[in-house]
Amino acid sequence: MFRIRLHGRGGQGIKTASRILGTAFFWEGYEVQDAPRYGAERRGAPIFAYVRASKEVINERGIINRPDLGIVADESLLLLPVADVLGGVTEHSVLLIVTDEAPGVWKKRLNLKGRVFSLSSKVIVEEHAGFPLVGAACVGAAARLVGVISRKALEKAIREQLRPLGESIIGRNLAKARTAYDQMEASAGCVTEREEPSADSYETPHWIDLPFEEAGLSAPYIHAAATSLKVETGAWRSLRPVIDRRRCHRCGLCDIYCPDGVISLDARGYPHIDYQHCKGCLICLIQCPTHAIKAIPEPGLRAKRHQGRGR
Amino acid sequence: MIRKLLTGNAAAAWGARLAKVDYVPAFPITPQTEIIETIAHWIDIGQMDCRMVTMESEHSMITAAGAAAATGVRVFTATSSQGFLYGMEMIYTVAGWRTPFVLVNVSRALSAPITLEPDHNDVLAARDSGFLQIHCATCQEVLDSVLLAYRLGENERVRLPVIVNLDGFYLSFTREPVKIPDEKNVKEFLPPYDPGETHFRAGDPISQGVVVLGGSQYSYFRYETHYASLNALGVFEEISKEYEEVSGRSYQPVEAYRVEDAEIVFFMIGSFATKAKDAVDRLRKVGCKVGLLRPLLLRPFPVKPIIRALAGKKGVAVIDQNLSLGKGGVLHAELSSALYGATDSTPVLVSFIGGLGGRDITREEFYEMVAVTRKASETGEIPPPRLLYTAEELMRMKGLQSIARVARQKGGGKS
Amino acid sequence: MLGTGTPTCAGCGALENIKIFCDILGEKTVFVNAAGCMTLLTVYPFTPFRGSWLYTAMASAPAGAQGVRDALDLLIRDGRLAPEEYLAVVVLTGDGTAYGMGLSATSAAIYRKLDFIYICYDNEGYGNTGYQFSAATPYAARTATSKGPRGYRGYKKDLFAIWAAHRPAYVATVIGTEPADLARKIEKAKGLRGPRLFIALSPCPTGWQFEPAKTVEIGKLAVKTGIWPLKEYLDGKVVHTRIPPPRGRRPPVEEYLKRQGRFTHLFSPTRNEEILKDIQASVDAYWEGVI
Repeated sequence: MFRIRLHGRGGQGIKTASRILGTAFFWEGYEVQDAPRYGAERRGAPIFAYVRASKEVINERGIINRPDLGIVADESLLLLPVADVLGGVTEHSVLLIVTDEAPGVWKKRLNLKGRVFSLSSKVIVEEHAGFPLVGAACVGAAARLVGVISRKALEKAIREQLRPLGESIIGRNLAKARTAYDQMEASAGCVTEREEPSADSYETPHWIDLPFEEAGLSAPYIHAAATSLKVETGAWRSLRPVIDRRRCHRCGLCDIYCPDGVISLDARGYPHIDYQHCKGCLICLIQCPTHAIKAIPEPGLRAKRHQGRGR
Repeated sequence: MIRKLLTGNAAAAWGARLAKVDYVPAFPITPQTEIIETIAHWIDIGQMDCRMVTMESEHSMITAAGAAAATGVRVFTATSSQGFLYGMEMIYTVAGWRTPFVLVNVSRALSAPITLEPDHNDVLAARDSGFLQIHCATCQEVLDSVLLAYRLGENERVRLPVIVNLDGFYLSFTREPVKIPDEKNVKEFLPPYDPGETHFRAGDPISQGVVVLGGSQYSYFRYETHYASLNALGVFEEISKEYEEVSGRSYQPVEAYRVEDAEIVFFMIGSFATKAKDAVDRLRKVGCKVGLLRPLLLRPFPVKPIIRALAGKKGVAVIDQNLSLGKGGVLHAELSSALYGATDSTPVLVSFIGGLGGRDITREEFYEMVAVTRKASETGEIPPPRLLYTAEELMRMKGLQSIARVARQKGGGKS
Repeated sequence: MLGTGTPTCAGCGALENIKIFCDILGEKTVFVNAAGCMTLLTVYPFTPFRGSWLYTAMASAPAGAQGVRDALDLLIRDGRLAPEEYLAVVVLTGDGTAYGMGLSATSAAIYRKLDFIYICYDNEGYGNTGYQFSAATPYAARTATSKGPRGYRGYKKDLFAIWAAHRPAYVATVIGTEPADLARKIEKAKGLRGPRLFIALSPCPTGWQFEPAKTVEIGKLAVKTGIWPLKEYLDGKVVHTRIPPPRGRRPPVEEYLKRQGRFTHLFSPTRNEEILKDIQASVDAYWEGVI
């Protein structure tokens, strides 16, 4: 059985990508199971989806713990522990990352034992309010890496899944998918179905007897204010608003309109953005009367890592 | 017949579409929404000819569903979790009206704490309502069960509403290959609704849902409804044969998977049962004689087929994806009462509580449940109910509690 | 039209209303009922109705009406029922339901423009459970849950205004003791489509504590003293269908109050001038606003 996990951000087309991949397997005669997985977080938050494909009936369910292939549509997720992109990734697992860095760089950076492939960020079909839609290209590459999906099945799956979006979008996605498919030609079939360990030796689950604890402890209470500060929603952002102080008239509108309250004014009235929590909605940019706010792509990951160390 | 990838929700909507339902009262709730969105879309583009009305609550939704069925049309509706509970008064009420219709419940664990992922406490709250219950393990079963449910509920020996249950996320949002039967085959299996005596007509007055005073009369009506539910077991067996003829798929009230020569048997309902199947196959490969017994019908409870299937088994690992607080697993209690005194050698029953609020049950846990059950059957010492919960999970919980600062509070105990 | 032999109390003012409704609406009706006194009209195996009946639950009778109406319309549309099989769907609830638990379902049914008639028999308390106060209970009335020397401390909810704010086809206040006014309003509503709602004050010998023979006398006083205004809402306008004589010329409201046991504490052992004045003042203020 192929077990494939796709990681991305809400709004990047990850669910659609998983469905294209699932459908392509299906057209190749595979039994398939695909599903997105999301919680309370919305657009921009890390999400994942998974695809199982097998020649036999699939009885497994739920999250894939040990993927044969991990697809990472947004490289920044690799450094975000909560996204758990590398969970269960072993030397058997192949990783496909959308990045402009060489695969070797990532292999070294993350100390990965398995094979790593990169897709250039040029695979992005179009920017949609700052969220690159990368699904089709990822699926194109993945289809070639698993080696059992023909170009025809891939294209049919893309057409089927993107039908409501119209011919022009389908066309552009098809082109990106084909390019990615071709790009992986040399490595066709390098993703293989992992043999599951035999049932006669397994790691015994560490079950415990849950202790009784009094209601003050064991009822769902939060005895503190604003604990959400610990949630670094800055990681949702793909574009970063930057304030040019020279053009800022200190009107404070950015502060007033920011729904997340991440902008604060200093003693002189200049706004400052809390990048740990700014989700990158860019309302401030639109509302700024003097156009003092610009959006720049998130700084490279090395800078992020540096930031991380600083905390 | 076409075969395509469908989510459990889409499969439920296909069931309603193929059943040519007349009327769909609706109210959105996660994770059921895709069902009513799909039906609304089909109505909009002219692929489905029925009337859908978005009500202001599930209480009203189930009232309207029962009232429309009482007027003589075929009705479909769907809900989940809190909505299911909000409508609970009417779930009991409309069952007593003896009006057949199908309610799809997409299982989601109950508040408090409120949550999104599934367990079966929602649907089990209707266990004693008079609604029949069919529990699905795959998306294919969801579609097939909706069709079976109409035939079952509308049968003159039954005349009861039916719940078709599927697990949120694990089925509702998960696509699997589903065979969609042809309309003409469905038509052969499921003719248009015949309301029989249940309708409102000019010149033929009828009073429905009438008050009864006195326990004697009340006992009569309730026990007759109980009989109707029990009848559904035999009717299910009959109609599933007919369904097999038109669909090629065969369903039994209880699925027995590799049970025949098994020593240890998993007993559970819902989509996680396919995970148990996977574990059974893998354990069989190493010579371990295990099987899976899965009731599709939970109401009526298929007592006889279960007794037959478990006769001579050494042990049963009962996996409850629910918790009757202050008692334990509901299936464990159901099975115990069914088996008590039924045969000379009753297998040991070991109770496991797992998958609450959508918590995964891992393959290793299935293996371990077999080991624990086998040991109990050999020693005769039955361990107390086991919550599937690991030391790692408790450690993570303690981490979250430190953010919630519960330990600081008085009377909060030690963290 | 309504059959005899019902278990309602002797002198029931609600039944008086319903009898007239049944006479005018005829037998081609489905009454959809919510928990209340009138639920006991049909006690197995007896029913006074010559049309049909469905008991739902306290909160959702209008939703039941929705299901029946939609199903009948579908059956007629598809030719499974002949058009002459058209049945009017009539919700029948007490004030406990109409003013409280069922308000959400009613609001939603009006919002959906459901074609139905709603009859609220308003006896100003939870009559079927022993007469506790409801949101329809008038100020100072003694009920099983307001037995203190001042009676009920709340004020009757203005359900007419709440319903009318939804802009339904028709709303009216009525009382069975003014049969001409009631009959005219039912006839008017019968000729309309969409939500048509009635609040029917229903003097209740048991809950209000008066002799059953006095139901009509008390009902007439409710109108004469001006405490129960008869009015209707149609096409965005509220019209009063009976205007009592101006202040001074109309009987004081205590003429209505003193005949009911639920208000005796206002008169004995001592007269509670303050409360009586308050009640009179609120009636006067109402009519000043009208005229």
